[in-house]
Amino acid sequence: MNREELIAIAEKWFDEQGWKIFSFQKKTWTAFLQGKNGLLNAPTGSGKTYALWTPIVLQYIKDNPNYKSKRTKGIKAIWITPLRALSTEIQQATQRLADELETGLTVGVRTGDTPQSERAKQKRNMPDLLITTPESLMLLLGSKGYASQFKTLTAVVIDEWHELLGSKRGVQMELALSRLKVVASKLRIWGISATIGNINQAQEVLLGADPVYREKSVLIQARQKKKITVQSIIPKEMDTFPWRGHLGLHLLDEVVPIIRDSKTTLLFTNTRSQCEIWFQKILERYPEFAGELAMHHGSIAKDTRLWVEQAIRNESLKAVVATSSLDLGVDFAPVETIIQIGGPKGIAKFLQRAGRSNHRPGETSVIHFLPTHALELVEASALKRAVTEEVMEDRIPHLLSFDVLIQYLVTLAISDGFIPSEIFTEIKTCFAFSSITEDQWMWCLNFITIGSQSLQAYDEYKRVIVTPEGLFKVESKRTAMMHRLSIGTIVSDAMLHVKYVSGGFIGTIEEWFIGKMKPGDTFVFAGRTLELVRLRGMTAQVRMSKKRTANVVSFMGGRLPLSSQMSEILREELQKEDADGKKSKELKALRPVFKQQKKESIVPGANQFLIETFKTREGYHAIFYPFEGRFVHEAMSGLLAYRMSLLKAITFSLAYNDYGFELLSDQPIDIESLIDNNLFTTQYLFSDLQKSINSTELARRKFRDIAVISGLVFQGYPNKMIKTKHLQSSSQLLFDVFKDYEPNNLLYLQAFRETYEHQLEEGRLRQSLERIADQEIVWKECLKPTPFSFPIITDRLREKLSSEKLKDRIKKMTLKYNK
Amino acid sequence: MNHQLILKNNQFLLHPSGAIYWEEQAMLLVADVHFGKVSHFRKHGAAIPPAVSEENFSNIDQVLQQFKPKTLCFLGDLFHSTLNEEWTRFSNWMDDLDCKVSLVIGNHDIIPLYLFEELNIEVVPELRIEVFLLTHHPTKREGFFNFAGHIHPGVRLTGMGKQGLRIPCFFQSEGQLILPAFGTFTGKHILEPTQKDKVYAIADGEVICLT
Repeated sequence: MNREELIAIAEKWFDEQGWKIFSFQKKTWTAFLQGKNGLLNAPTGSGKTYALWTPIVLQYIKDNPNYKSKRTKGIKAIWITPLRALSTEIQQATQRLADELETGLTVGVRTGDTPQSERAKQKRNMPDLLITTPESLMLLLGSKGYASQFKTLTAVVIDEWHELLGSKRGVQMELALSRLKVVASKLRIWGISATIGNINQAQEVLLGADPVYREKSVLIQARQKKKITVQSIIPKEMDTFPWRGHLGLHLLDEVVPIIRDSKTTLLFTNTRSQCEIWFQKILERYPEFAGELAMHHGSIAKDTRLWVEQAIRNESLKAVVATSSLDLGVDFAPVETIIQIGGPKGIAKFLQRAGRSNHRPGETSVIHFLPTHALELVEASALKRAVTEEVMEDRIPHLLSFDVLIQYLVTLAISDGFIPSEIFTEIKTCFAFSSITEDQWMWCLNFITIGSQSLQAYDEYKRVIVTPEGLFKVESKRTAMMHRLSIGTIVSDAMLHVKYVSGGFIGTIEEWFIGKMKPGDTFVFAGRTLELVRLRGMTAQVRMSKKRTANVVSFMGGRLPLSSQMSEILREELQKEDADGKKSKELKALRPVFKQQKKESIVPGANQFLIETFKTREGYHAIFYPFEGRFVHEAMSGLLAYRMSLLKAITFSLAYNDYGFELLSDQPIDIESLIDNNLFTTQYLFSDLQKSINSTELARRKFRDIAVISGLVFQGYPNKMIKTKHLQSSSQLLFDVFKDYEPNNLLYLQAFRETYEHQLEEGRLRQSLERIADQEIVWKECLKPTPFSFPIITDRLREKLSSEKLKDRIKKMTLKYNK
Repeated sequence: MNHQLILKNNQFLLHPSGAIYWEEQAMLLVADVHFGKVSHFRKHGAAIPPAVSEENFSNIDQVLQQFKPKTLCFLGDLFHSTLNEEWTRFSNWMDDLDCKVSLVIGNHDIIPLYLFEELNIEVVPELRIEVFLLTHHPTKREGFFNFAGHIHPGVRLTGMGKQGLRIPCFFQSEGQLILPAFGTFTGKHILEPTQKDKVYAIADGEVICLT
């Protein structure tokens, strides 16, 4: 059959379904059948699954003319999805086409949730299409005989590639592809990505430096503009609007009418604990929603999550409070309304959420934005502009992630073993490792075989061994088992299972949270008030409680910074306050706050850089307002604190949010000397930053993930923490050890590199310092905290920087007593 | 740099390494060295820098050099987990020692006890000397003052400007003093003292009384 005849089969099927074929779909079919690789840029809910699954089926029909009577064995395609939750949808859609074209093709899912029996069955007889996650694919590369199993592959499709691109899961995917390209000679690589700022780079990373794959590749863009309307929820009384906070509960009453007026509403929160609290409070104040309101976040038991997703489709729920766990993919046609609680911080994320409503091509999506504190209204105003102007953030790919490389090498070593020269050639085709040197490669090999860079006396380091034939292999069953349990690049705190005493799994929570509690204490989780009965191994046994408690479960991390694109629009919006011309209704509503700010200080204009100082019970505060987003402020505060600490012995505590940062000290902060000595200079930026970081401990936090991913820290067997006690150490301790004994360790250095490239955004920092150099510095000595400063000075997450001797500091401090 | 402490008419010197020198008995008390821990980790595939274990030996040599004690008493967790090659290093180190060595057994000391005894180490579940009780796990007993390890104590300090610090310490409560961990590759556990407790923190090579 030729290409036209094949495409005619698909067209007929689409016709039977009463569907229109989009031109991007047909373009993708053609390109795929021509043997090309590529990236499809299409939003969710646009028909992207059929854009790629259809040609895979057609290719099978072409290769097997007797497909209706005789099925050819062996896996045909792998479909990678970043979220397990999406796999069911994709399975249903793909199976439907396969069945109705009478191909007999089978579709299987393999994720962390797949039962052992099912996995074993797949191992014996692979489905034709395997839907899986990057982690599960890695596990397959870690099992014996993977190469012969995958040699029949004709395609790998990486769905939601933009989600993986900016993370280490992306690097993991690049490595897996570099192997599959060699194992399967007929392989085509396709990615599907939502619109991002660096879409061309996304294609480059996906296909790697491999000339064969790059030359035969295309970028297909679906030209479907989604209409999105943003509506801010503005309180009637601005005076009662809080200056700080991140929960937004004061607007709860305004939200309820929106929920009532619409068929199904999704409320997106930014963190899991915020999600729990909102769920709880709505039911408390509006008990009539009981049974019609549900909650969805990543720590709730999978069964419950699936039930909620199904209930949304059945239209049996009025509203669902969710986190990013519902951001992606899953098609919820009945959802009419989206409410975003708190700033989404990025335009892409916001659009993705907006797209959840009326998830059908062509329809307008409405998203309500609920600001949690006054200044977030400016963010709302900025978001509106960003949506109309279609500004998009970049996803910055990781480079030279040695931790992921080391994990990958050990993965290959636990399956069939590897020959270094072959693998080195392959990994150099990965975008992430195209600049790796021979020395660095040798370092990694030494790391996994002798655990250091030179052989040690009395050493028994054991991980990967080298056979006389030069094959790198893991022989110890125990090492292999430990590695299998550690595959993955998403590191979270140790998780405890929460179960009823009578049985019944509720979900997982982080160990530190339970660690603070005694039996008999109560907490709110999964929308229920629970009493801790006892801890057994890695399980917290609980029972329902009628007690009232404010102890809502919380989770570490998860606060996203404002993107640079958003920051810029935000600064411009803010400056409109003083300019003539049209103001958005958000800015108008903010007038009382601006008035108060102007009374105490100023609202900085385009060419002004504002510094405020004041004294409170807590000490001397200096607040700076670059409006550059959290990460840049983090770096800039560390830099300034370090430079000031060179002028005199002083200790600072640092805080920052998306708008500005604070230096707080027990001594007065000399702003004059800061200006006179030109401490905002970009000179010596790198070396100053390096020194300030050393004290501000950012790299230490990055190292935590690196230590786990590279296998330096073993997180334990599930449910069997005790057995590994002798092997547990904290990454903190390790970081100190490397600092003192192996400062050239590539993993240790990587922690710093990641800090500069991904956390501190050195490039952005330099640009904002240059901008500040051109601005007029306005220093206001205020009598009390200003509205702008309030959210910053009340932030409890703080960094420290000190040039005082430890001994001198201790003398000024007080011991934390047990009351 | 040491801190002198008089307890029940005996003189004790708290040393910034975490060791205590008992003048009357000419005895050096050391808790939680965890020799062999680095090797144990390496044996199981975690590439901790091998130089770290050497540090334990050189630290302890320095303290011995300074006090030249008659007895060296380990308050438990001397050798971490199962036997490994670091034992050979430890045996050689023991050969060069010219003082008596005792070990109060700890929970991480799981290798056969005769191995210690072969090196002329006296192994005991606890030691009673006059009114002093030496144990691994902190133990309160009527009529005795207890020296113990196991906890790896540290304290948290807070100050103006929302400053905070965590540092290792000697932790003294009624009838008891817990030593900080001597080993380099060990963590610390934060304790919150009550008004009755005394805390001697280790900072910048000094022992500083915080209470």
